[in-house]
Amino acid sequence: MPLRTLEITRRAILSAGAATALILFAGETSAQEKPFEGKQLAVLMVGHPTTDAVRKALPEFTAATGIQVDLEVVPEADSVPKMMLEFSAGSGRYDVVEASSIHLSSFVAAGYVSPLNDLATQHKDFFDEADFVPAYLKPNMLSGKLYGLPLFGESSFLMYRKDLFEQYGIAVPKTFDEIEAAAKTVKEKSNGQVVGITMRGQQGIQGVYIWASYLWGMGGSFLSSDGKSALDTPEATKALEGFARILRDYGPVGVANIGWEENRLLFQQGKAAMTIDATVNGAFNEDPDVSTVVGKVGYAPVPLQTSNPKGGSSSLSVFSLNIAAASEQQEAAWLFASWATSKQHQINSLGTDPNSGVTSRAAMESPTFEKRYGAFKEAMLEALDKGNPQYIPTVPQANEIINNTGIAVSKVLAGTMSAADALKEANDENNAALAR
Amino acid sequence: MQTISRNPTRIFYWPIIALLAAIGFSLLGYAIWLCLHNVSLTSTKGTQFVGLRNFERLITDWRGLQALWRTFLFVVLATSIEVVLGIAVALFLDQEFPGKRLVRSLILVPMIMTPVIAGLTWRFLFNAQSGMINYWLSTLGIAPVDWLGDPSVALYAVLVADIWQWTPFVVLLAMATLENLPKDLVEAARMDGANEVRVVWHIILPMLRRTLAVAALIRAIDSVKAFDLFYIMTKGGPALSTETQNLYGYTVAFTNFDISYAMTIAVLLTVVTNVALLLLNRFAMPRGNR
Repeated sequence: MPLRTLEITRRAILSAGAATALILFAGETSAQEKPFEGKQLAVLMVGHPTTDAVRKALPEFTAATGIQVDLEVVPEADSVPKMMLEFSAGSGRYDVVEASSIHLSSFVAAGYVSPLNDLATQHKDFFDEADFVPAYLKPNMLSGKLYGLPLFGESSFLMYRKDLFEQYGIAVPKTFDEIEAAAKTVKEKSNGQVVGITMRGQQGIQGVYIWASYLWGMGGSFLSSDGKSALDTPEATKALEGFARILRDYGPVGVANIGWEENRLLFQQGKAAMTIDATVNGAFNEDPDVSTVVGKVGYAPVPLQTSNPKGGSSSLSVFSLNIAAASEQQEAAWLFASWATSKQHQINSLGTDPNSGVTSRAAMESPTFEKRYGAFKEAMLEALDKGNPQYIPTVPQANEIINNTGIAVSKVLAGTMSAADALKEANDENNAALAR
Repeated sequence: MQTISRNPTRIFYWPIIALLAAIGFSLLGYAIWLCLHNVSLTSTKGTQFVGLRNFERLITDWRGLQALWRTFLFVVLATSIEVVLGIAVALFLDQEFPGKRLVRSLILVPMIMTPVIAGLTWRFLFNAQSGMINYWLSTLGIAPVDWLGDPSVALYAVLVADIWQWTPFVVLLAMATLENLPKDLVEAARMDGANEVRVVWHIILPMLRRTLAVAALIRAIDSVKAFDLFYIMTKGGPALSTETQNLYGYTVAFTNFDISYAMTIAVLLTVVTNVALLLLNRFAMPRGNR
């Protein structure tokens, strides 16, 4: 380790030196409009409509700054291993990477990404801190320093079929017990034609992402305040029992292998009366090209069973642009990151690609946004406000914890183990991972 | 050996062999180094020498051992079913009938298909709610089966996809051999009054033995390495019921970033596989042909 620290410090000093030189140089030629003309940036982004919008608008960025961008796009699941390998080798292969904010604390702890405060005060060409939705900006701050700029984000909410609820006389559920009762009513009164509720149950992040609403909503949490695993609590057991029971009794067949896509399709094809999922699903429900339930869907906060949870039961996930500490073009990288998250680009992107997860307030208040996503805008803003930044653990071992927890969720959902036993197993594994 | 080393062409191949050997041994050395340390990309504690602790962890790791057992089960089932089915189809196709060429090219389609596409196709076919297979079953009055969501069924569902994709490979090898078999032996046996079953069992199959051993060996090696179908169809779930050793190693390396432990898993899998395949090679290959 001493060796590695030394290396990082040396690199930091070198890059600081290079940055100073650049600043001096830039000061000298301030008359020139494009001080970074001809620079080449390597950017790693995740496959998503926002990325498509950035790609389409790249010529505008190059025209404004003279910086060429080499954009590499990979699926979300592959992006983290890819950047981790480059980061740990200190290669500087990527100048800017897009990552979920849940990884930020481990990136910062290992010195993989740069703090952005100085860059933010020096280059305000595109950057406007006040324009970001505060809930999206906050997960990018660590001990008072800014480490990333939010590109898109989402929360989760309860989606329900207004028409069916009216027909069967069901009120909008506010607790998990009421959800279960509603699911039962729908299944019985529709003679099993419509499933009560559909949720993702696939082993891994898919199932854990949704089960976490139950965990927080029942008053549980992933970690205790002293940083140990807290899955062996009665709250967690109750959460997993409730989650598995409602899906096994009133959910779709095959729920143990249902991921985001299958879940979304079931709901937008009108085969389910309720689902708890990401706010981005609202955009699919309200798109007449792919949905048969346009205008029939109501949006409400994720239920809470207890009045004083340890954290909100709706998620808050933010994908941000981070600048690699090993990059030798910190300023050019900053210009790109601040341009891709700028007010103007985000407003324009609404016209080119479907995206309800814009992080700019101005974009959210634009008429295009209102027209497309007005049906769930209010519920989404409310969910964001209550969104829990710790919804999925953000410790460096987060991935392993999600993996272990996912196995427990899957075992109970498939009926091969009781909730208490499965969670005890996951709890031991998580503690071992946290101690490693 | 002496004749080989005096051959003047050695100056052409020795550097290449030396280079390949150097790369091979340095990678092996790095792999062993990784196994004896605790390299983790998310660890803030730095890398230390841990001796054989990774191996100790592995032999007491219930999840890893179960994954190894599943790999074994999958390899044995996939290889044997594919070989038996492959011969059957090859024998059936080894006669003249109109459209033989067309059938032969069609049979290659699964093999050529990208694994990701094949995996997605089967995933949708097996979908419990709206998949084709359950729809066909329902027309026969059979209740829907939860193919990929039931831990006792999921591994076999993936097996079906693997058999569909790779049986053609065995068919192809067997057909190539069948066409080159001396026909006189078969005809002589028929003249002597042997029925078709005896002809196949006593004459054709022994002559196919070498081809089948090669096909089985290649299929066994491929099934140990099977990853794409599992990753696309189930991601190891539900309840770990489809997690093979291969998939477990992937999860440890690229989800948990525990590089050293993942390497230990990979090394164990490599050793076990090599021993098993050498045994298969020793017993399945006819003497003199090895």
